Amino acid sequence: MTENTVNEIERMVVTRVFDAPRELVWKAWTDPKYVMQWWGPKGFTSPVCKMDFRVGGKLLCCMRAPDGQEFWNAVEYHEIVPHEKIVSLMYFADPEGNRIDPAQLGVEHEAIDGAYDVTLFEDLGNGQTKLTFIGNEPMESAKNSGQMEGWNQILDKIAVVLAEMAQAK
Amino acid sequence: MIERLSHGPASVRGLTEPFALSQQMISKHIAYLVRARIVIKTKRGRESVCTLRPGTIKTVSDWAFNYRRFWEESFDKLDVVVNQMKMEVRDDRKHGERN
Repeated sequence: MTENTVNEIERMVVTRVFDAPRELVWKAWTDPKYVMQWWGPKGFTSPVCKMDFRVGGKLLCCMRAPDGQEFWNAVEYHEIVPHEKIVSLMYFADPEGNRIDPAQLGVEHEAIDGAYDVTLFEDLGNGQTKLTFIGNEPMESAKNSGQMEGWNQILDKIAVVLAEMAQAK
Repeated sequence: MIERLSHGPASVRGLTEPFALSQQMISKHIAYLVRARIVIKTKRGRESVCTLRPGTIKTVSDWAFNYRRFWEESFDKLDVVVNQMKMEVRDDRKHGERN
């Protein structure tokens, strides 16, 4: 069945075990007061975070890069199983929450058609919680190294082009 | 040429002017840049307009968005937040016992 091949793409999965009970991790994930404290990569801050945490609701979060550049992310909530699971869809947005093409920001995003982001909260006992985030994008690890390589290739190509231009002169 | 395009799209004619090269020669170079996926060429009326591929400009800047990195590093921060929350819960309990 062709439909199955879509599901067979290896997804980007990020897991982490927190030394905290599940209710606490859930709270940190679903309360904007706490989301603002962790949203975004290292060195980024989150100055604005509006959250309407319910099925059909939306999260709108701003992240500010160390150089001051601001990016907005929106998350749509599609399914919520309290303390266990959230099915959502994250995308780049404008400050009003309207979806924008990540390419506009120079971001490559290879989304899997019809797939969602899934966040799982597992109680491991001993006050530990395992958090699993399954992204709606293909496994990034290969792409990660590929990105660097891709850029090196561009540089190589620019060098060739520049050499040719010099020759033409 | 890339420097010129980093300021915004330009027509092939506009790109030819600063160089002491024929338009034919410039077109050939643009073709290389298009093939190297550095430049996108579109037709606007009778003119060809060149635009730098957005990814190209961004990759030059110090930060490029990467989904895995976003989540890994957000999780690092979440760990700090959760630990802080845990401490607060403990403090609340202590106060509760005292009261």
